[in-house]
Amino acid sequence: MELLKTIFEVFMNTYPGFLEAMLITLQITAVALILGTVFGLMFALMKISRSRILQTIANVYITIIRGTPLIVQIMFLYFGITTLVVLSGFWAGAIALGIHNGAYIAEIFRGAIQGIDKGQREASSSLGMTRAQSMRRIVFPQALKRSIPPLGNQFIITLKDSSLVYIISVPELFAMANREAAQNFKSLETYLVVGGYYLVLVMIFTYLLRWYENKLDVDK
Amino acid sequence: MLKGSNIHKSFGDLEVLKGIDLEVAPSEVVVLVGVSGSGKSTLLRCFNFLEHINQGTIEIDGHEVNPKKDKLSKIRAEVGMVFQHFNLFPHMTVLENVIEAPIIVKKMKKEDAIVLGKQLLEKVGLSDKADVYPSKLSGGQKQRVAIARSLAMEPKVLLFDEPTSALDPELVGEVLEVMQQLALEGMTMIVVTHEMKFARNVANRIIMLDEGRIIESADPETFFGNPTHERTKQFIKLVD
Ligand SMILES: Nc1ncnc2c1ncn2[C@@H]1O[C@H](COP(=O)(O)OP(=O)(O)OP(=O)(O)O)[C@@H](O)[C@H]1O
Ligand SMILES: [Mg+2]
Repeated sequence: MELLKTIFEVFMNTYPGFLEAMLITLQITAVALILGTVFGLMFALMKISRSRILQTIANVYITIIRGTPLIVQIMFLYFGITTLVVLSGFWAGAIALGIHNGAYIAEIFRGAIQGIDKGQREASSSLGMTRAQSMRRIVFPQALKRSIPPLGNQFIITLKDSSLVYIISVPELFAMANREAAQNFKSLETYLVVGGYYLVLVMIFTYLLRWYENKLDVDK
Repeated sequence: MLKGSNIHKSFGDLEVLKGIDLEVAPSEVVVLVGVSGSGKSTLLRCFNFLEHINQGTIEIDGHEVNPKKDKLSKIRAEVGMVFQHFNLFPHMTVLENVIEAPIIVKKMKKEDAIVLGKQLLEKVGLSDKADVYPSKLSGGQKQRVAIARSLAMEPKVLLFDEPTSALDPELVGEVLEVMQQLALEGMTMIVVTHEMKFARNVANRIIMLDEGRIIESADPETFFGNPTHERTKQFIKLVD
């Protein structure tokens, strides 16, 4: 009972700061996902291209990103980029998350593209479409639709992963929790509350995603 | 119209076509039969350049196709293909399926393509389905859309690879009817099918493929009445 009371107190004392921080979390997640989609599309195209060189570049990128911890990538990028150009922590973090996501999204797109029935491409070839035409008009639209559920998952993962940019002082949710806890000396309650923010965001998004998937099924 | 000479095709070590000579005259309907694995699909796919032949030549309308020099997409547009599993585009309506290639490949104006598409849908008896998605159609209807889609490119030859094999028995007739109508209108066709009644009634010539070779080529009456090859006799017994 006592715990619940303190949690509530902490919640009431922190929510102005947390709501602001939540906005930053959502922004950095959105930017990371947009960048990730651009990178992902680029590298997915490289992977399915017929050029060995492009394939290799994409493979190296994906292997490195998937094989190293995100927090290392964030630090590497932050200290790497900021020696070249002046960049805020927010943008350094967003770019790092974007590059990180790009590798996973590339695999999502590649899987979706290769998952389209071979017959679709054969039918378009037999109608006289070039490879590019059949990709653009037949394969990509179907693959994109199939990518949306896994992309939604990736969004959820990114939302949670974005907490790691606290390390480069981006004032997002988790950084805010650290700051609050250092001031109110109620670490347990503060981290419980911040966990709640993430949980609610994820649940809202999961619900939207499920709604969309159901809609897809109905359309089919 | 379509002429293959000495066509050889291998997949790795497996030689599937071992020197096929086949010439199809304008408006001729050739039915291709043979046991599973004899190379029927592969032969059709070679004529459509979905497979590259290892040896031999293919002529379309007297023009020998050179897969290295010619634009294959252009040649493929002249040879239509109807697949066993329809391969309709699920993200497009029936009408969009039909007009896609004329617009994208032939650069036809959309209005003109729509007129053409509607005509073709009427021809295959599906005018009322123009705006529905393929998933809402029966197998027979899907295959008729696929035929209309091929016809929209005005191919010189139409290839059918077991167009009714994936259909429920009661839906086979509606597809064969459309094909028979096309044959009457003078469409040049090569049809792989197990529908012997269709072969008997519609084909000008029936060809038996066996282990990658043509072992019998005759008009339906001779083919069924007086086949020369032992394998053909066995085959006819099997299907009749
Ligand atoms: N892409 C491929 N790679 C390797 N082998 C193949 C390929 N396509 C076909 N084959 C082989 O070639 C042979 C002939 O196949 P094909 O599909 O032409 O036979 P078919 O006469 O159409 O048989 P069915 O009546 O079963 O459709 C088979 O042994 C098959 O396994
Ligand atoms: Mg076959």
